Amino acid sequence: MRAIEPWVLQPLRTFVDESSARLALLTTSSGQVVAQHGFHGALDLMSIAALGAGIVASSTEIAVQIGWTPFRVVAHQGRAQAHLLSWFDTPRGRWVALVVFGAETKLGLVQVFMEQLVRDLVAAIPPEAPEKREVLAADFERELNASLRALFGR
Amino acid sequence: MTDEIRALSAQYAADPSSLVFLRLGEVLRARGQPDAALKVVLQGLSRYPHLPEAHDLHARILVDRRDFAGAFDEWDMVLRLVPHHVGAHKGIGFLYYRAGELDRALYHLRAAAELDPEDAGLHAAVERVAGGGEIWDTPMPEAPVDRAPLPTAADHGTDLPFADLAGGSDGLLLVDQHGLRLGGGVRTLEGRDVSEQAAAALAGIAREASRAARLLAMGEWSHLSVECADVSACILNPTVDSTLLAVIDAGTPGGQLAFAADRAAKSARAWLERQR
Amino acid sequence: MSADLATLLDGLTRMRGVRGALLVSAEDGITVAGALLEEEQGPALAALAATLLARVRELIAETGHEPPRFLHLQSAEGLLLLAPAAGDLVVVSVAGREALIGPLRLEMLRIAEQLD
Repeated sequence: MRAIEPWVLQPLRTFVDESSARLALLTTSSGQVVAQHGFHGALDLMSIAALGAGIVASSTEIAVQIGWTPFRVVAHQGRAQAHLLSWFDTPRGRWVALVVFGAETKLGLVQVFMEQLVRDLVAAIPPEAPEKREVLAADFERELNASLRALFGR
Repeated sequence: MTDEIRALSAQYAADPSSLVFLRLGEVLRARGQPDAALKVVLQGLSRYPHLPEAHDLHARILVDRRDFAGAFDEWDMVLRLVPHHVGAHKGIGFLYYRAGELDRALYHLRAAAELDPEDAGLHAAVERVAGGGEIWDTPMPEAPVDRAPLPTAADHGTDLPFADLAGGSDGLLLVDQHGLRLGGGVRTLEGRDVSEQAAAALAGIAREASRAARLLAMGEWSHLSVECADVSACILNPTVDSTLLAVIDAGTPGGQLAFAADRAAKSARAWLERQR
Repeated sequence: MSADLATLLDGLTRMRGVRGALLVSAEDGITVAGALLEEEQGPALAALAATLLARVRELIAETGHEPPRFLHLQSAEGLLLLAPAAGDLVVVSVAGREALIGPLRLEMLRIAEQLD
């Protein structure tokens, strides 16, 4: 399990332990990875993070078009495996969680502990530095590479 | 209880001096009820202390209960009564083989094979221990002075969980917090031992029960009763690091299930204390 | 349909000591219908009950016996009761220590039978 910022680790660890999730990924709404559990390849992670953010964005847009409140949770149920995508707001902006789980747990259980994860993350967020600097393209690429190194220990 | 056991039990109850206890003990043993079989054979031995077949049955039951030292003593007694008893030679041969004392094992297994030339399995066992069929060309050695084989690392002590209960460990399974069996056992209706699988499942149930009680703010859980069409079961924690499963027939009143489980838990706690 | 299912639970929720009753999907651990005194507890109750039932079913399956038809988890502060119905539904109720298990059990088995 790895995270860009250490305060994310304990809430995520508790979530994985309680929910028996096989894979867990936290990203910003733009697809930048915040933390992950169970992934082994940087390329897979980047693709999945981007796709997850895309699904949430599409699902939100569908709801807007229809005139509904955007869905916070999208679950895709397979025979042996399922995944759940959920967005939630934090003081650091909107984040997206992707969780992959199998028959050893239940969708309901994953949802219950997802709610707990959100509460724990919001409670654990340290105060943000007063100045936000504008993120330039070069800075973004540097930060992305730094985050990948942190996530995969390279 | 099967019809055969029921019928034999009735016969034995009607005439406790009869030798039907031998058949009843065999059937109980074959049905995976070593504790009930033990009770029956001990009752029979109290009336017939010099009956070789009773000692032989006793020895086999003790092997089922992994009391190998006790089994050796019983087969030793049989051979004192009947020096050419095939079952006793086979049994002692097996115990020596298990303990790695191959010369002694070979003597007894060969003696049994010579007494029962029709037993192909026994002949094959002799050749395996001897390392080949040439053994039959060599003269039979002199009988060794028998002593109980040294216990192996796999031997358990004779202090078993639930030994103090009237029904023994029938329908009882005690596991540690990691899902490893501590004592007792569970069999399917066909007699297949599923204790290890049940032990693993039991630890998971205990964890889920704890989590449910905690997250639903129900306080500490004390027991989980399960009712099926053909059995009832109770699951509880005798200690913080062990879990007990008690299974009874569906015909038993439900209110008795908790009593039976509590008695078993008390026995388990006492046993665990002795081990620590 | 949810209203009909919820109606099935009415009698159960009025019994002594019952704090809530749900119909739960055993597969997903999600509430199908029901009512609880503490509504926010609903999702957790459904999920935990379904998970506990799954574990017990695994154990009973290993022993080769018939599947469980009633579960009773006794705790210091109350009871959790489950009665699986045919298919995927489970009748779940949570009650305080003052509840009487005998009548509750009968009512839950009756409801489970109606769902079959």
